[in-house]
Parts: sequence; C-alpha cells; structure tokens
Amino acid sequence: MEGHQRNLYLYDRFNARVAGVSHDGVPTLRHWSDDLGLTFPLLSNTTGYLGMFFGAQHKGTPMFARRTVIIDMWGKVRYIKDGSPDYREILLLLKKLHAEEGRS
Amino acid sequence: MIRALVTAAALFLLAGCAASGAPADPFAGMRTGEGTVVWQKEYEFSPMPEPWRLLELDEEDYSIAFFRSCDHGTPGNYPCESMVAYAEEPFGYSRDLNQRQKEFFRRFLWAARVDFDEPRVQPVRALEGEALQADTIGHERVLKHKVLVRVVFARRGERVVAFYFTQWRPSDKEFDRAPMEDFHRFIESFGYLKPSFYQRLQ
Repeated sequence: MEGHQRNLYLYDRFNARVAGVSHDGVPTLRHWSDDLGLTFPLLSNTTGYLGMFFGAQHKGTPMFARRTVIIDMWGKVRYIKDGSPDYREILLLLKKLHAEEGRS
Repeated sequence: MIRALVTAAALFLLAGCAASGAPADPFAGMRTGEGTVVWQKEYEFSPMPEPWRLLELDEEDYSIAFFRSCDHGTPGNYPCESMVAYAEEPFGYSRDLNQRQKEFFRRFLWAARVDFDEPRVQPVRALEGEALQADTIGHERVLKHKVLVRVVFARRGERVVAFYFTQWRPSDKEFDRAPMEDFHRFIESFGYLKPSFYQRLQ
C-alpha cells in the first residue's frame, strides 16, 4: 500500500485512481489507513462481492493473497496479477492505457 | 615428459590454492580506471574500503549495501556491526524531504522493535542537490541493544532516495563514529549513469 501511496502523483498523471480492497472490516481498515498515512480509499469487501462484480474473482473462490487488478475506463479488466504489486509493470500499463484514452 | 606434466599439475594446484585463499573481488569486471565501480549499469561510486564488505541482498529494500563487524579494532562485542546502504525507495511516500523522514522513521527497523529518539535534522547537499540529514539513536530495550542511525534523504528526479548508516552496539557500549567518514565519502562519490525508470516514464 505504501508503494501505491508513493506513486499517487504518477497515477494522477495517467488519469488513474487506486483503491485498496480487503476482506477486513471498516474499523480495521480505518486503523490501518491512519497508521500508514494512506490518502486513497480502502474498501471493506467482506463478502468478496466487489471482486466478482468486476470479474476479478471467481464466485465461491475465497481470495487470501494479494492481487492487483487494473480496470480501464470502460470497466474492462486489463490486468490481474497475484502477489506483491509490480509497481513498474503497473505504471507502464497505466501509461499505455492513458495513451489509449487519448485516442478514443 | 611425465615428470614435467606432474610438475605442471602440481603448480596448477598450488596456484588454485592461492587463488581460493584470497577473497574474490565482488566488483570484478565493474571497476573503472578512476577507482570507481559501475553497479547494475546504473550507478557509479567508489566502493567502501576495507574492512567493509559488500552485502548480498535477498530483498529489494536496498540497491546496494555494505557491512562491517567490530573485529577490526572498534569497541564492543555482538551486537557490534555497521551498515551503509543506498535505497531507491526508502520507507514513506512523501516527496517533501522533511515529511519523508518523519514517515521513514515510523517504519525503519520496525521489525527490530526499536524506539527512536526524536531525529535531529539538518539540510545538507547530496547528489548535486539539496538533501536532508537525519540523526537519531534507536533503543531495543528488551535485548539491551542500541543503534546509531544517520540517513541522508536526497532526490533523484522527482523522487526521494536515501543513504543509510546504521551501527549496532550493546546499550552499555560507546558508538564508534569513525566509520561515518566512509559513509560520507561513499555518498560524495555516488552518481547515476542514466535516468531512473521514473524519469524515463515521463
């Protein structure tokens, strides 16, 4: 999360927004956000509905590990990767998507 | 002919023994004619002098790090070690140097359960620009260890990078501040050979 916070100014330049999604409840996330000094939203997704809504998580499949999902401005999932975020890969894709937006 | 071959083989083996006894140069093939080394085709610096050793890193917190123990005439016993490191992504996220040092010390050595004194900060210059030096001492009260910390926060393009110096000692032993001179010589010699990923991203 700290890495995303560090890159917020670059996400802004590429017209991208980041949100953290967690199975934890709101009080836990509020504490975590305050402790890390995060300024982007953390969403409490206790049922897993959000991941299923965007097609980033199969129904009935619990997700316990970290996953990075990038959704373009048309709501289409363009990137899914499990494990620690690869910030450089993320930024390069956001730059590419931003260029695509400019052409659309 | 056979005797000559045996002699040659013996000499070869002896040469092999001599070579294995000498420490391998961790910067072999990276040295320039000016006494510096080129590291990862991106950084150029003067390597830390003996008895500093290059640390083999198995994580990405640091781009390069050096280590020395106290077995070279410095006071104290274990824990008795110093480390110098350079990090492209120091803890924290702000691009303001003073704010970044505040964020940094909330995470730095967190796993070592260290309580830091309020850092003393002062403006300095590093990497040909404005920088901020923060000095503090951390206390590990259970194991009765302490750590002397100096961090120089500098800029690479828009982003903040940092040079670290840490020295661990038992709580009742004095710090040895002489190795800090090597730390500052390392910073003065440090430079970049190409723009960073983030600079190229623009």
